Amino acid sequence: MPSSIDTSTAMLKKTVMIAIFAAVAVVLSIIESMIPLPFSVPGAKLGLANIMVLTCLYFLNGKDTLMLIVLKTILTAFIFGTFSSFLFSFFGAIVSFVLMYGMMRLGRDFFSLISISIVGGIGHNIGQLTAAMIIFKTSKMFYYLPALLLTGVVTGIFIGLAVKYLISALSKLTLFQGWAAHE
Amino acid sequence: MMKLRRGDILLIGIVLLCAIIFIIIRAFPNEVSDESHSKIATITVDGKIYRTVELTAEPQEIKVQTEDGHYNLLKVHDHGIEMIDADCPDKVCLTFGFITNPSQTIVCLPHRVLVEIENTNPKDQGDDLDAVVN
Repeated sequence: MPSSIDTSTAMLKKTVMIAIFAAVAVVLSIIESMIPLPFSVPGAKLGLANIMVLTCLYFLNGKDTLMLIVLKTILTAFIFGTFSSFLFSFFGAIVSFVLMYGMMRLGRDFFSLISISIVGGIGHNIGQLTAAMIIFKTSKMFYYLPALLLTGVVTGIFIGLAVKYLISALSKLTLFQGWAAHE
Repeated sequence: MMKLRRGDILLIGIVLLCAIIFIIIRAFPNEVSDESHSKIATITVDGKIYRTVELTAEPQEIKVQTEDGHYNLLKVHDHGIEMIDADCPDKVCLTFGFITNPSQTIVCLPHRVLVEIENTNPKDQGDDLDAVVN
C-alpha cells in the first residue's frame, strides 16, 4: 500500500514541521523579550514569532497554522505569563491569523508578504486592544492605536522581509520540497 | 531586495494616512484640557475602584496591592501620573510613561489595573455649559 505510506509520511512531516515552527516561535518570543525597544509605545512589539506563523501559512494550510498558533500561545504563556495575559495574546493572535489567512488566500496577486505581515502585526494590536476594551469596559485604550499603526508598519516591513528570506532558504531543504507548491 | 507590489504601497499608504489623521484630530482638544490643572486619577483594579487621587505638583507614591499579592507602584508628580514599578510578567504597563491628560490611560493587563484621568475643574465644566446654551 504505497499510497497510505505516502500519506502517513506526509502527516509525519507535517507534524514535525508544526512542532519545529512552534518551538522556534517560542524561542523568538524569548529573544524578543530581551531586546529593548528604542520607542515606548504600549503594546508595540517586534513580533518575531510572526515570522514562523507566516512561514507556516506559506508552506502549510490554515488548519496547521492555527495549530501552531495555539501551541505557541500556550507555551509562551507557560514561560512568561499569567492566565489573563494568555487570553489577551490568544485573542490578538487569532485576529492576526484570520486577517493574514484571508490575505494569503485572496490577495496573493496583489499583496506581497510585507503587506501580509503588516496586517498581521496591526491585527494583533487591534485584537489585544479589543480584548482590553471588553475586559476594562472602556475604549480609551484606542488612544494608542495611531502610534501602534506606525510601529506596526515599520516592524511589519522587517518581519515580511525576514519571512521572504526564510522561505527561499527553507525551500532548498529536502524536508520542505513539495510543500512550497502552495503558491 | 524584494519588490513592493502595488497593493503593498497602497496598503502602507492607507495605514500611514489613517495614523496621521487620527493624530491630527486628537491634537486639538488635548491642548485645552492641558491648561486646566485640577485633575484626578481613578485607579481601578478588576473593575472595582481602588482609589482616586488628585494629580498634584508635589510628588507622591501610591502602591496598588492586588488581591493575589502582586503590586503596581504609581507616582504622581507635576499634575500627572506614571507607573514606575510592577511585578507583572510583561512590564507593558511601564511603557505607558508619564500621562497628564484625560484621553490617556495606563493599563496593566496581567493585574487588571486601570488608571484613568478625569478633569474635575468646575470652571471648565461651567465653560462647557455656556457653550452649549449659546
